[in-house]
Amino acid sequence: MSGTLTNHIFLQFVTGLQLGAIYALIALGLTLVFGTLGLVNFAHGALFMLGAYLAVVIAAKFGFIAAIVGVPIILFIVGLILEKGLIRFFYQRPHTDQILVTFGLAIVVQETLKWIFGANNLPFSLPSWGVGIIKMHEWVPFLEGFVVYPKWRIILIGVSMTTVAALFVLLQFTRFGLIVRAGMRDAEMLRFLGIDINKRFAIVFGLGAMIAGIAGVFGGPVTQVDPEIGMNMLVPSFLVVVIGGMGSLPGAVLASFLLGLALSFTAEYSAIQQIIVYVIAVVVLLVRPRGLMGQKGLMEE
Amino acid sequence: MSDDKILHVSRRGLLKAGAATTLALGTPAFFMKNAWAQDALGNFPVNGPKVMFGFNVPQTGAYADEGADELRAYKLAVKHLNSGGGMLETFKPSSLKGNGVLGKKVDFVVGDTQTNPDAARTSARRMIERDKVIMWGGGSSSSVAIAQQYLAQEVGVIFMCGLTHSNDTTGKDKRRYGFRHFFNAYMTGKALAPVLAKTYGKDRRAFHLTADYSWGHTQYESMKEFTEKQGWTTVGNIMTPLKATDFSQYLTAVINSDADVLVLNHYGKNMVNSLSQAVDFGMRDMIKNGKHMEIVVPLYSRLMAQGAGASKIDGVLGTSGWNWTLQDAGSKVFTKAFEAEYGFPPSQAAQTCYCQTLLYANACEVAGTFYPPEVIKALEGFEFEGMGLSGKTLYRAADHQCFKDILVVRGKGPDKKKGEYDLLEVVEEVPRDVVTYDPKIFGGELGPYKPA
Repeated sequence: MSGTLTNHIFLQFVTGLQLGAIYALIALGLTLVFGTLGLVNFAHGALFMLGAYLAVVIAAKFGFIAAIVGVPIILFIVGLILEKGLIRFFYQRPHTDQILVTFGLAIVVQETLKWIFGANNLPFSLPSWGVGIIKMHEWVPFLEGFVVYPKWRIILIGVSMTTVAALFVLLQFTRFGLIVRAGMRDAEMLRFLGIDINKRFAIVFGLGAMIAGIAGVFGGPVTQVDPEIGMNMLVPSFLVVVIGGMGSLPGAVLASFLLGLALSFTAEYSAIQQIIVYVIAVVVLLVRPRGLMGQKGLMEE
Repeated sequence: MSDDKILHVSRRGLLKAGAATTLALGTPAFFMKNAWAQDALGNFPVNGPKVMFGFNVPQTGAYADEGADELRAYKLAVKHLNSGGGMLETFKPSSLKGNGVLGKKVDFVVGDTQTNPDAARTSARRMIERDKVIMWGGGSSSSVAIAQQYLAQEVGVIFMCGLTHSNDTTGKDKRRYGFRHFFNAYMTGKALAPVLAKTYGKDRRAFHLTADYSWGHTQYESMKEFTEKQGWTTVGNIMTPLKATDFSQYLTAVINSDADVLVLNHYGKNMVNSLSQAVDFGMRDMIKNGKHMEIVVPLYSRLMAQGAGASKIDGVLGTSGWNWTLQDAGSKVFTKAFEAEYGFPPSQAAQTCYCQTLLYANACEVAGTFYPPEVIKALEGFEFEGMGLSGKTLYRAADHQCFKDILVVRGKGPDKKKGEYDLLEVVEEVPRDVVTYDPKIFGGELGPYKPA
């Protein structure tokens, strides 16, 4: 036996983190937009996919660093334009209307990308500094023998955690964050106080899109880039948001890693793995109807 | 009253007329070959100057690459049927004249199976009911093929399977109205296992990752059976969802086991992704049990090899139904025609779909009718050559499975390939007799010639 139990647990744990890292990046934007704007955004998967396609194109033309810098900025602008041109008209409409319009938007993006790039996988070459493996046994003392992990996937975990931390800082420790958090509780009161909450809302939507862009650049090489990844990633990310508690950022992050780890540790038992996500969702919602860290009042008026 | 009289007369007249008609229509039928049975069935009879074929291929999903290439081949087949050329020059015995089928020009409609059995059936139904196709074909994925075969049997329209490699297609789920030119997982196991044992030794421990549907399951069983006959041990198997794109959680489980061979029962994008990721995880550089870890891809295709890239498939063994580099007359003429049309060589999916279309058309010519039961009889037991691979191919009557030579192929590394599409080298051409098996081992019933 070359694999011991500790090695086994360690490798599945890292893989779980890596799976969770992508869910977290996508779910963050989803739950941020929902928590702040009360909008159920089914087009969020499409924004992630748009980010991945843009990353492929930009990386091929101008290099990978350009993609890392450029894609989130472009997605932020795309988010602003979407919010101003379409989304803001739906804040006061029922959730069913919001779902229909964002779902339609997702299909438009998906079919446009399919029309331009075809239905096949786009090859996404990693930058030279992201290729290769990390010899984990040289870093982690309790591992035995030879344990390696692809470098890019470790980078992905790092990027995800950094993004989560940055967003927390922005919302908890800045004036912008304070206003946005206040707006989540009572938008009307802010308007009375003379604060232009609509402008902040547009920025929040842009931020959500930007994080989806980051997920596209770093997650694209792992999830692969084809016109179906948007929808494929949206469903688990939505479950993550529901399990974590609609609108709760810490909940979304916690649920992402919970799901990633659950999928990783049940990988060898396919019958269980294919239902584990739903089992967790059912159990969590039975015990805590608002999700793990759901806030009182949201979706309940 | 007059009404009564009219009724009285017309009833008697009707009886007379009916008897006369029956006699008149019935008499010549006794002298015409098979004419007694040719009532309307499915979309028979074919009216008008054209005959309609349906091509139902995956335009989305894990097998979209294969679908796109199948469609190219179908268009080429229609072109050759209508105006000659291609394998019409090499295929024998052939009754095809290059002027359409039974004097009718061939037209076609296209559908999207979405690599999904339900979507495929809906799309096929539309072709049958709206476009009145007399035959349809295509598809990649055995669960899609099997779902369509059952539909074919229900409606009495022949389905010529595209890419389907599950044992079930011509085994427990075989249907009178379904035909398969492609080979199957059982043949893959039988052809590949001896080469594996010769190359990697008889003392090997294999871990399988398997696409979780009909094809994957039967390929896993066949590979397990035949590698174990060679002395290998099967350490484990994980069923992976067809929709999976990230296989990391399964690959780490393989790394954690004591296996020294990874068998990927994947196809299309699944295989491109799982193989690429296995290489990313360093699996081709690992030493397990004192041996170099090896990866095996039982069902290979040039499209997948291209998707994964030469550096990742270097030295990886598998089987293939056909490869464009073959030098027999049929392969050469087909590759030449395909390249002239599209600018790159055809895949095995293209070859099998092209052959299926010609074989169906030829069976109509042989039968002298589009009447499905007669066409089926013309296909059953038909033996032919000149459609790729040396030697003869038999469409076995007992299970509608084609028997022909099987290619064991090996991926060519970047230093060995000559050109963008030269990715597979043929290691061995396993003769038809070696991979032929008793149709009884898989059970199943073909069903009646005339659907109830």
